[in-house]
Amino acid sequence: MINPIVRCRGVGKSFGSGELVVHALRDVDLDILAGDFATLAGPSGSGKTTLLNMIGALDRPTSGTVEIDGQSLAGMDKSGLSELRLHKIGFVFQAYNLVPVLSAQENIEFVLQLQKVAPDERARRAREVLAEVGLEGMGHRRPSALSGGQQQRVAVARALVSRPSIVLADEPTANLDSATTTELVGLMARLNQELGITFVIGTHDPRVMDHSQRHIELLDGRIASDTRS
Amino acid sequence: MIAALAWRNIWRQPIRTALSILGMAFASVLLVFMLSFQFGSYDTMKSSMLKISDGFGQFQVAGYKNDPEIDKVIIDPASLRAELAQFTAISASTARSSGFVLLANGERSFAAAVVGIDPVNEPQVSTLSTLVKQGRALTARDTNSIIIGDGLARNLRLSLGDPVTMLGTGMDGSIAADVLVVKGIFKTGVAEIDRQIAQIPIARFDEAFLMDGAVNVVAISGDDFYDIENLGAEMRDIAVKHGLVYLDWAELQPAVKSAIALDMSTAMLMYATLVIVVVFIILNTLYMSVLERTREFGMLLALGMKPAQIGRLVWAEMIFLSLLGTGIGVAIGIAITAYVQSVGIAFEGLDEIYAQWGLPSRMYPKMTLFRVLIGPGAIVVAISVLGVIPYRRALGLEPVPAMAA
Repeated sequence: MINPIVRCRGVGKSFGSGELVVHALRDVDLDILAGDFATLAGPSGSGKTTLLNMIGALDRPTSGTVEIDGQSLAGMDKSGLSELRLHKIGFVFQAYNLVPVLSAQENIEFVLQLQKVAPDERARRAREVLAEVGLEGMGHRRPSALSGGQQQRVAVARALVSRPSIVLADEPTANLDSATTTELVGLMARLNQELGITFVIGTHDPRVMDHSQRHIELLDGRIASDTRS
Repeated sequence: MIAALAWRNIWRQPIRTALSILGMAFASVLLVFMLSFQFGSYDTMKSSMLKISDGFGQFQVAGYKNDPEIDKVIIDPASLRAELAQFTAISASTARSSGFVLLANGERSFAAAVVGIDPVNEPQVSTLSTLVKQGRALTARDTNSIIIGDGLARNLRLSLGDPVTMLGTGMDGSIAADVLVVKGIFKTGVAEIDRQIAQIPIARFDEAFLMDGAVNVVAISGDDFYDIENLGAEMRDIAVKHGLVYLDWAELQPAVKSAIALDMSTAMLMYATLVIVVVFIILNTLYMSVLERTREFGMLLALGMKPAQIGRLVWAEMIFLSLLGTGIGVAIGIAITAYVQSVGIAFEGLDEIYAQWGLPSRMYPKMTLFRVLIGPGAIVVAISVLGVIPYRRALGLEPVPAMAA
């Protein structure tokens, strides 16, 4: 039996209190396995982002347990959660979220710096990953000098550079045009197949879903379906 | 990593950063110049007042300062002066005696203080000999000569070459009487001195007042006022050894000390206000820049940066900005102050008022490390300490709400 990278059991998340309480997630059981290329879909308000936040150790469940690589989030302090995110999880955001004062290569190296990787090693790995996402020779550019698609590639490279257990992407193609979306999804699928990187992508873009091997549908905070192709 | 990122972050909004730097630089220039000028003026005030007659420090018998009776004497001034000569900071020492007398010219007579001075050593301790406006100062060859203040000369209607009769009480209580010849008339600008003081050679004083080699005071001077001030403890030890007391500048001129303390307290209030206003304006600007980046901080937290690291990043930005602003201000302030230090500032029309205090009409700032750094340093320290506010805000950030901001 393969140990899951992410293991959610009875996860619930509610906001507010009393009559104003909103249940964003209800009793979610979910295992993400190594090598999964999963999409998390559902209508707005279905709980996609909330579930991604739980899986990404960005937020804590109101009920239930979340384990990442066998480590339970329960009882971890802020610093512990930061360490977990730094070493186990890569993030790709809808709005790219690159540090504007750093070049593409520096943005990628930033995560390695937080991990205290030696400068030479950092530079080598950043160059490698830039090449993997097709941005060889563009490492010196600041985010403002890159197109949206290129910025999102840098974000993917940043998420990959520390070789995390899992990469989480929340609507990564929402700000991209059709051609760039196809290109980016193809890139993530290739990285999944060639390097075995686990991806969980929150999306309602059918072009992304078409590439996924596993499709998880959320509705009203519950998993409505979980299918593999 | 944090330092490099902080440095780049402060240049994200170049105009805002430039304005913040300008504000701190301007305040720093003001603080460097004004503190140097103010303390420079105090130095001039102390030095000028003390150099007219007192010297930078004095050895006396206890109680002589408040009750200057002629029989309160230093028996062996030569051995005391020999000991003082061992200190390189002390450039000169001189012995003095003084007595209260009646000076008379024909039918006119006035009370005065006659000071017996050593014509060779006294000019190295006091500037009074340079303030002789008519005639000349006393010399080693003088025997029955006297120099008097111009107010006293006017009151007694004395001119150069006129004889003046001196009547006082000797150390043993006998009558001390002498007839002296006016060789010089000085004008210090200090009315009290010009109306009441006369000087005669100490040998003549010794003879007239039967001092038997004893003196009332040994005064010292040096090239640097502060060098002498710093010798206070050692001077006091020597004084105790000789059965005397040592009086520093503050004890010799308590009025000057009080005037400086009063002036300084009001000035410090103004400087503190300036620092506080600048610090809060800058802090407000920096805090706004932190609030604007809440979303970005959320992203950094998501990437694995710890809240404390973000706090240190923000703190480092504040320290960099304050160091940059005050550093530029200090550099400009030093340049301006150095220039004014070389040419001085003339206060036209205030000559007479200044002269009453023995001050020159042209004043000079004087820079020291302390005067240059204390004001700008206060800005940096205040901003660094108050940096705890955005630091604490960063500590409280949670990734999800921060990214949603």
